Amino acid sequence: MLSRIAESLFWMARYMERAEDNARLLDVHYHMLLEHSPQSYQLRWEAIIAICGETDRFFKLYHEANPHNVFEFLGFREDNPNSVLTCVNRVRENARTIRDRISREMWEDINSLYHRLRGFRPETEIAAGPHRFCNEIKFASFRFHGVCDDTLPHDEGWQFLKAGRSLERAETTAHIVDAEYHQLLTSASSEADVNNHQWMAVLRSVAAYEIYRREYHGRIEPEKVAELLLLHPRHPRSVRFNISTLHTALQAISGSGPDSYATEAERLAGKMQEGLLYDRIEDVFARGLHSFLTDLEKTCRVIGEQIARSYFYYAVVA
Amino acid sequence: MQMPQAVRDDLFRGYQTGGFFDEMFSAEGELRPHYARLYEELASMLPAEFEERRRLADSAFLLQGITFTVYSDGQGTERLFPFDLVPRILPWHEWDLIERGLSQRVTALNLFLQDVYGPQRILKDRRIPRSLVYSCRHFRREMIGVEVPRGIYTHVAGIDLIRDSRTGDFLVLEDNVRTPSGISYVLENRLVMTRMFPGAFQMHEVLPVDHYPLELAQILRSLSPRPVDPAVVVLTPGIYNSAYFEHSFLARQMGVELVEGRDLIVDGDVVYMKTIRGLTRVDVIYRRLDDEFLDPLAFRSESLLGVPGLMGAYRAGNVALANAIGNGVADDKAIYAYVPEFIRYYLGEDPILQNVETKICSQPQDLAYVLEHLGELVVKAVGESGGYGMLLGPYATSAMIEDFRKRLLADPRNYIAQPVISLSRVPAYDAVASKMAGRHVDLRPYCLFDGEKVIIVPGGLTRVALKPGSLVVNSSQGGGSKDTWVLQRESGEK
Repeated sequence: MLSRIAESLFWMARYMERAEDNARLLDVHYHMLLEHSPQSYQLRWEAIIAICGETDRFFKLYHEANPHNVFEFLGFREDNPNSVLTCVNRVRENARTIRDRISREMWEDINSLYHRLRGFRPETEIAAGPHRFCNEIKFASFRFHGVCDDTLPHDEGWQFLKAGRSLERAETTAHIVDAEYHQLLTSASSEADVNNHQWMAVLRSVAAYEIYRREYHGRIEPEKVAELLLLHPRHPRSVRFNISTLHTALQAISGSGPDSYATEAERLAGKMQEGLLYDRIEDVFARGLHSFLTDLEKTCRVIGEQIARSYFYYAVVA
Repeated sequence: MQMPQAVRDDLFRGYQTGGFFDEMFSAEGELRPHYARLYEELASMLPAEFEERRRLADSAFLLQGITFTVYSDGQGTERLFPFDLVPRILPWHEWDLIERGLSQRVTALNLFLQDVYGPQRILKDRRIPRSLVYSCRHFRREMIGVEVPRGIYTHVAGIDLIRDSRTGDFLVLEDNVRTPSGISYVLENRLVMTRMFPGAFQMHEVLPVDHYPLELAQILRSLSPRPVDPAVVVLTPGIYNSAYFEHSFLARQMGVELVEGRDLIVDGDVVYMKTIRGLTRVDVIYRRLDDEFLDPLAFRSESLLGVPGLMGAYRAGNVALANAIGNGVADDKAIYAYVPEFIRYYLGEDPILQNVETKICSQPQDLAYVLEHLGELVVKAVGESGGYGMLLGPYATSAMIEDFRKRLLADPRNYIAQPVISLSRVPAYDAVASKMAGRHVDLRPYCLFDGEKVIIVPGGLTRVALKPGSLVVNSSQGGGSKDTWVLQRESGEK
């Protein structure tokens, strides 16, 4: 497989995931905040921008983090390199460069999403609330993976898609937990009730609310939310689940056996997977959640760089 | 014009052949027999039904991304290549003549290229002026003495034909033997048509076209310098090229890699592609990149699209290129005038398909004639394609004519002139009037040459000038396309 094609598949999956993650954040928080006082609400919108890591860029473009601005920024701005629209454009651009290697159905699905999104008018959608737009993206992402799984051979190219998606998702979930904890620690204790709602929103934004209810029964406690999002073995958005998926994909790509590794990315993913398997949430808190997550996010970035180094880039030979 | 009785208030209301050769109706307004069954189907449809199918066809093209890119607004907009649902039908006996004529022509063009980059017999025998060949912008001295694999230069040729309304005969308008494009539209148009008009295909025996990628793949594989299972790739300039869809289409259909210049590397005169498992050798490149951009070391040094060292690997015989480098000398529009001579010289045969009468402006008496008749002639730049660099005398303003006069005097070698041929017409749907109207068409068949014989998928791309009265069929100038049907030989046909 050409390196360029592998790289396009990897990034296609990452951008699709990023579009979905943005859409989820927007959708859930928008609806939660409808029930809140204007002050707390403005702070929350700023927090969402922070979760996306876009505070600087956002405040260069806007004075205030209100629903309209945040929605426009995360949903539609083409000068925001991580907006939903930009991500979908990039998914399509990557798909276009490897059209000969993806299935016809995959191309048609991505292309029709692109054309549908061009039909969305930001002002109309902002006025109507983000749900319709966000739902479209969410289901587009589900469909994307369904079409990939059902029409592509499950070869190394497909593994690069898996790797891209799981790496992006692990990073996003880690980032959400980190940002929410930071928010919690800096807010006054009288806002406990508000926080409970916030944690519900967090769970919903990563499709974990129902699982939480089933597994933990009681009221929402931040430590348990963290446990679910970081260490749960089966929840498809937990960090552990995704690092494990990533590790399996990297092993399949390199062809190394269960007790060995062939690339630095594989070694790091394997090591992280072990940690997430044997660490308990108490251990994580004892070491400090923030530093744990900072390390984890950093390792994710290094894994991304190492995948590129092993498979995508060629040093100039001549 | 007499219309058949069944026609009243339908798609063909008030249809006029307008004094042109109409592919569907004779000059007397009689339906031509090979269109009879299709006409019946169309005439039974209401404009709204037809409109609905047209909408479906358009959305199929858009969904599949069968678009070309135009760069008028600075950021490259994708447009649909307009598709007209009324097919252009050729009866078998007409196609048979075309096929024989094209085989003859492509064989002669390949012999000319072998000769001009080899022993140059035709120059020594003074059958074409040496100065005309050597002054051609696309003549590549670097290719003299290079042995190309299996002696094939013109692996793929797109020969543009038009039907002259006055005589009803097909004429060759131009040869394209560098990187002719459009075959993907032929195959996709057919696919969409079979979905839109399944009934019509059941009533006709339309010769299939979808074996083209297999034939091409077979020829490409046969060029490999190594006796192993060869690695064939399609080389594209990338997604910003207007024919990118076609490049990826052909790669997919042939089951080979689509590569960009940056995916390839030359080491020790061998071409490799960069894969996730390291470098793997490339044997055959179907390149859809012009000569100038192929290798920055040999040609334009600023090109980022090509592969440094590719020309060296080609000369060393370690990689095969299709089409060969330097083919532009054979489809130069001034050289074109000599192709009938090539046929006589190399094959000892009379040309089956005639040229359009052509004045070569580098010849003083021709230039004088052209300057006197600018208002009546079509003037074309010899090295251009796609309808660019052209003056349509009868439709030009006097300022445009004066501009061309200056250009002609400044660089006569760069121009040729031809009479305006009134192209034949086929009914096409006019969405504004919700009915059929005659529109001018040409025909570009795609000819594959395997070193011994010429293989042509029946039909080709029919391009249609959708603007009323327009004679320019190029997609960049508002043209569209039609499916082209060659009908199976009927038992009565010779």
